[in-house]
Amino acid sequence: MVNDRGQLYTMEGVAAGVIMLLTAYIVVSTTSVYTAGDTHIPDMQLEQLGSDVLAMMDTPDTNGAESQLVGFVRNGTGIGRGGDLRDAFLNTCRMRAGDPDNSLHAQVFLSYRRADGSVNTTELSSPSDPGFTGRENAVRVTRWVQLPTTRPAGMPTDMPNDRPKAVLVEVLLWRA
Amino acid sequence: MACMNEEGQWIVLMGLLVAVGIFFLALIINQSALVGQTTAEGVLEFPKNDIRDLREAIFDYVDRFGNANNPSSQAVRQDIIAISLERKNAVVDFDVESPQNISGRLLYPVTIHYNNGVTKYDERVYY
Repeated sequence: MVNDRGQLYTMEGVAAGVIMLLTAYIVVSTTSVYTAGDTHIPDMQLEQLGSDVLAMMDTPDTNGAESQLVGFVRNGTGIGRGGDLRDAFLNTCRMRAGDPDNSLHAQVFLSYRRADGSVNTTELSSPSDPGFTGRENAVRVTRWVQLPTTRPAGMPTDMPNDRPKAVLVEVLLWRA
Repeated sequence: MACMNEEGQWIVLMGLLVAVGIFFLALIINQSALVGQTTAEGVLEFPKNDIRDLREAIFDYVDRFGNANNPSSQAVRQDIIAISLERKNAVVDFDVESPQNISGRLLYPVTIHYNNGVTKYDERVYY
């Protein structure tokens, strides 16, 4: 009963099945758009860059000296007292060959503990790109800074002024 | 196609196999965009820089206070613990004991505990 006639009918059936499966796959997969930004690879690289720059700025030139980062927090000037810190941070991030990377933006925050034990976060600088949309993939990098007893001029008045302090410098970093 | 001419069916069959092969290769190229996502997320999740920075902050603390226990040192210690919890979602604790003679140098034994729910880090270091 079994013969080898009509093999092309079978193959046509198989081909039609494959085409239908392909169509179903393509239709289903078009409903989700997966871009490179969803893979977090640029975020990871940006976070590493920011952490490295903060670590570099927090390294004093000589043993026991004050680091650049602490100096900026203590004697900062510019917008919101952290403008210089933000600009120095961005300049260091861009310090490499090739593209000047003008799309890189940052804003600096400072977290400290009030006398009543609650933690407050204040803006130390304005964002370098005030026109951000909220859709940028931003990363946050942080660095501990120890401040002396006297509260640096211009800091919020609920920052303790009668004891040494450990505060957290937080930099929000994104590309636009 | 069928019944017109049944010669050369093997050629048609091979064409079909090649087409299916190309489809699978295209799938692999499509998936290659995702390679590295897990790696990148793993790197983002692992608080390497947070732990390094916390160690440096604690060593700065030891530089300034040693193992002294006074209102100033307690305040800085509470700063580190409270801000870590509030801003870094990490439970942190550390203790500095009285200096010990290690190979002819007086060093403070420092115990550091860190846990952010994903990564746990415990260390005892002589500083």
